[in-house]
Amino acid sequence: MIKILAACGAGVNSSHQIKEAMETEMKKRGYSVQADAVMVKDITQDMLKNYDIFTPISKTDLSFDVDIPIVNAGPILYRMPAMAKPVFDQVEDVIKKENLK
Amino acid sequence: MIEPSQSSLFDERLVFVEDADTQAEVFHQVADKLVEMGAVKPDFLANLSEREQNYPTGIDMSVVNPAYPNVAIPHTEGEFVNVRKIVPIKLVKPIIFNNMIDPETEFPVSFLFMILNNDPEGQANVLAQIMDFLTTTSEADLLNLFATTDTHTIYQTLAPHFND
Repeated sequence: MIKILAACGAGVNSSHQIKEAMETEMKKRGYSVQADAVMVKDITQDMLKNYDIFTPISKTDLSFDVDIPIVNAGPILYRMPAMAKPVFDQVEDVIKKENLK
Repeated sequence: MIEPSQSSLFDERLVFVEDADTQAEVFHQVADKLVEMGAVKPDFLANLSEREQNYPTGIDMSVVNPAYPNVAIPHTEGEFVNVRKIVPIKLVKPIIFNNMIDPETEFPVSFLFMILNNDPEGQANVLAQIMDFLTTTSEADLLNLFATTDTHTIYQTLAPHFND
């Protein structure tokens, strides 16, 4: 199971949409993915240890170094294939490169 | 008062046309009315403003259609609101917001979809419905929505497009 952490400011709308889009699209592409949605301010270094990929809404400054792959997922929110596809492609590239399962 | 049990995503009493010069001013104007109607809690304004500073919500509409003005979707955590609603706000004068997906860039915004969401896990994602509306509605209908300053027209244009 590949684990993805989505994050946005309020942890309400955007991150949930990223979570749902990631799970749906990656399943379509044949990967077993589970995503969670959180508020950026609640993210800790310990929390990130439980995830394979970090997909924040935009470039995000955390108070510590993130040592898992990061893919900025904001363009997904438009729900337009032309905007979303490059993001999903980047996530798939990470999955292949890191051989995630 | 706005009843929390009311299921519709729009309420005609929660549609505003605001003449303001700054983000702070328009947030203040709208928050005062929302508190008075019981739609949000008194600390809504402070939290909404702080969140917008740290995590901006401007949406660049030029990537959808260069003819469209930009919009924003200000919102905050569910604990500060009492209802699940979209509050449309037409800005008589455009106001500067920062880009949600690229916070270092800014642009003028002419219409707000303020999201009051006390149920983030709820069935249909509110933000997804707003984006689907903005990307699939006909150009003529959207330009009419962005041009009007009549709250009834705004309500009539939006409400039928959303599932509660």
